[in-house]
Amino acid sequence: MTFLLQASLFAALAASFQAGEMSLNDVVQKVNPKMVKIYGSGGFKGLPAYGTGVLVSPNGYVLTVANHLMETTDLRVHLYDGTRLPAKLVAMEPELDIALLKIGTDKSKIDDLPFYDIVAAAKAPLANPGTAVLAFSNQFQIASRDEPVSVMKGTIAAYARLFGRIGIFEAPYSGNVYVVDAITNNPGAAGGIITNRMGDIIGIIGKELRNEQTNTWINYAVPVNAELEVKLADGSTKKISITNLIEKKEAYKPVTKASKSTGGGGYLGIVYVPNVVDRTPPYIEYVEPGSPAQKAGLLPDDLIVYVDGLPVVSVNSLLELMQKYRPQERIQLEIRRGDKLQTISIQVEAPPKAVPSKGPETKGN
Amino acid sequence: MRTRIFWAMLALLNINLCFAADLDPKLKQFESSRMDVIKKVAPSVVAVVTGGGSGVLISADGFALTNFHVVAGQSPALKCGLQDGILYDAVLVGLDKVGDVALIKLLPKEPNKPFPFAKLANSDKVQVGDFSIAMGNPFMLATDFSPTVTFGLVSGTHRYQYPEKGMFEYTDCIQIDTSINPGNSGGPLFNMNAELIGINGRGSFDKRSRINSGVGYAISINQIKNFMGHLRAGHFVDHASLGAVVASGFEESALGKVSVSGMIDSDASRRGIKIDDQLLYFAGRPMTSVNQFKNVLGLYPKGWRLPLTYKRELENGSSERKEILVRLMGSEKMEIGNPNGAPPVPVEPKPMPMPLPKGQVPPKAPGPKLPTGPAAKLYEAKPGYANYYFNKLEKEKLLNNFKKNGDFSSLSGNWQVQTTGKIGDKGRQAVVVLRILAKGAKDAKNDLVQGIFDGIDFSIEPLTVEQVGKAIKDPPGSGGLLVAFFQLRQLLAYGEKGFVGDFSHGGIEPYYSPSENALKPDLGYEVSTDREDDPCEIHFSDYKKDSSGRELPGKILVKYGDKEYASLKVDGWKLE
Repeated sequence: MTFLLQASLFAALAASFQAGEMSLNDVVQKVNPKMVKIYGSGGFKGLPAYGTGVLVSPNGYVLTVANHLMETTDLRVHLYDGTRLPAKLVAMEPELDIALLKIGTDKSKIDDLPFYDIVAAAKAPLANPGTAVLAFSNQFQIASRDEPVSVMKGTIAAYARLFGRIGIFEAPYSGNVYVVDAITNNPGAAGGIITNRMGDIIGIIGKELRNEQTNTWINYAVPVNAELEVKLADGSTKKISITNLIEKKEAYKPVTKASKSTGGGGYLGIVYVPNVVDRTPPYIEYVEPGSPAQKAGLLPDDLIVYVDGLPVVSVNSLLELMQKYRPQERIQLEIRRGDKLQTISIQVEAPPKAVPSKGPETKGN
Repeated sequence: MRTRIFWAMLALLNINLCFAADLDPKLKQFESSRMDVIKKVAPSVVAVVTGGGSGVLISADGFALTNFHVVAGQSPALKCGLQDGILYDAVLVGLDKVGDVALIKLLPKEPNKPFPFAKLANSDKVQVGDFSIAMGNPFMLATDFSPTVTFGLVSGTHRYQYPEKGMFEYTDCIQIDTSINPGNSGGPLFNMNAELIGINGRGSFDKRSRINSGVGYAISINQIKNFMGHLRAGHFVDHASLGAVVASGFEESALGKVSVSGMIDSDASRRGIKIDDQLLYFAGRPMTSVNQFKNVLGLYPKGWRLPLTYKRELENGSSERKEILVRLMGSEKMEIGNPNGAPPVPVEPKPMPMPLPKGQVPPKAPGPKLPTGPAAKLYEAKPGYANYYFNKLEKEKLLNNFKKNGDFSSLSGNWQVQTTGKIGDKGRQAVVVLRILAKGAKDAKNDLVQGIFDGIDFSIEPLTVEQVGKAIKDPPGSGGLLVAFFQLRQLLAYGEKGFVGDFSHGGIEPYYSPSENALKPDLGYEVSTDREDDPCEIHFSDYKKDSSGRELPGKILVKYGDKEYASLKVDGWKLE
């Protein structure tokens, strides 16, 4: 039965690639002017300082993922024709992991950009598994200025709930996604789009995530008609969606989840051993140069046992605990180095500021 | 048990039925044409066993392309397998380190037995969204050398990928989501017309180590075509620079603008390019980003001339636009691009069967290992060459072709050409006589070269290597017409024996004819007596046969830099 299913799926894919009226070259030409390259904060800890977005209005609203790129006042966007413009974060929808940007300044008048009508696109039925898709993104920052973003071909493999994680944190979005067989899980691809064979937008490529259960990288996109119910403080529920964000240009303010913190609180400057199981012991893998941990003399292979007298059994519990501290607070760590226990006093700091990127290098001879 | 087998058979039957019944006719046609393409090209795909990579045959006499990084560090004698399951001997021919290309030659098992080979496409016509087929030997899977086939999309064209330590700069390359993996390097990328569009060799990998992550790069076949003359002549090819640093501005809203931000003494500066000039077109391409500028540079060997259009803002507020031909200089000399002035870092050899990830240390050039076996007869080591044996072959071929237009080998005595025409800046009318007197020098051993320009005599007693300075650029303003005349006689009368020092085939470059109304296609040559200066260019036209069937030009045009030094009509050749 499995064989049978695969055989017909393959036929559907190839047929849809072949039978379309438009050549793929034409589809690519149609989609590419709606794509933008985003340059913002990043360039540290393996986080790229570049990403992808898609125009959703003629006056310069851009849909992308909610990520670290936005943590700067110097956000830049390169349009398809090479125009370089500043951009501002309008709203972030953390539950959907989606952000809305506005490009241009108050003075500049932009009103004729090619764009996707997401509200209309969201009304289309869900794409079935087996649907041939194209993925557009500026993965690896291959394109800059007027160079078009990369395009890949693939198939929707499944429409399923996302169980993902970024590092040790759960992925913020846990609704249904399109799982694709194109390798969209590359640096800078997040915020790109997948379209059907005709170039109609289907979904937004999400952040680089691993599957929570199998620890493998997931290639997926959040459907444009993604919708979630969130619980309000008074116990009632509210529906949130990408179309809502685009129409209202403001986010629903979600209930803060402690586990969603990405390093607020006390910063030590420690990279722990890969956190592969629930109770990975907090061994130090690496100490960031110039960090509080280095100043206090912590070393790789040290095991942290107590924080201010409280026992820590895992990387997870240690990280959770550290959220309670604020910059400049002094804490006592009990560590095991070799077969000896030691006490180390350490003053935590604020997490380092992201370095904004100005885009790719532009020099040559 | 029986039931189970029965069900299994039924399932199989169903699959077949499903394919037969449900298949869209267009799909069926697409699939069968795809299989036809694969069948057609597969015999040309090479498993480069030495080095653990792939390659592709491009001629019936066995020339094949692969990556530099496949053969680097290997002996020039290689072993290559084809789809026929046979292991062939092969020899290294030419190398392009910067472009990551190597030309090799497979030796047939029977003399002159033709090899199957791939047809070269015009890769400038490749478009994003085209399908592509990569073939090769990833992970060294096939022990019988039958190539692995992967199928995907062209994700980007005219891509620029930064070099790794001065090597492997992928300029104007084709980006694909067609899966390429270790072992695919050097292998072919085909379009759906069964034509070769590129050579696979590099990828972006990030967290997936060196396994395909949907981003591969192929060197465009059009780039390789430009270097083919050099590769076939056994060269260790040098890439080019313009002699100018360019930068693109960061100004808001503006479209990409590429301007000159630094210059060194070069052909570009002699042709009048200045700092702050904006480059509009280079080799016919619009200059909208530094990447596009570097893409163009990577496509051509050093020494080639390319058209360049620039715009200059003038002091009175207007601007001027000019198109010039500019000669590319060697890239190894270009140091202004490196602000620290640090020399390139030599790298340790590291055997590696590709594709190259970013940041990987590339291996060294083929070492001094000497070949053995049948390939040894086709190899000659010489500094600056990948295989000097092939330079000699190409040189012989060229000189023999030359002889078809007349045998001058008996004419090693006095030469004279009498002309009338215009000379100098002001174009004054003059009688010009160029003359070589055999053994006419003071020592009565060497030849004397004379030029009489409207009664003014110049002479050189040729021609020792030590001779430098202004004398060999006589007459002034010509760039060295007398030397050029002497060189012509040496080439025609003596061939290689007429020259001291290195006499080799320099590869191929385009010839730009300065004359628009020549009766016959022009023939031209250049003589450079000073690397830091423009050469003396001689252009011949209006060829006529003399009584012995030798073709001799009726018109001679002499150029130096941007100026025409002389435009002469021949009144008579006298060759002894």
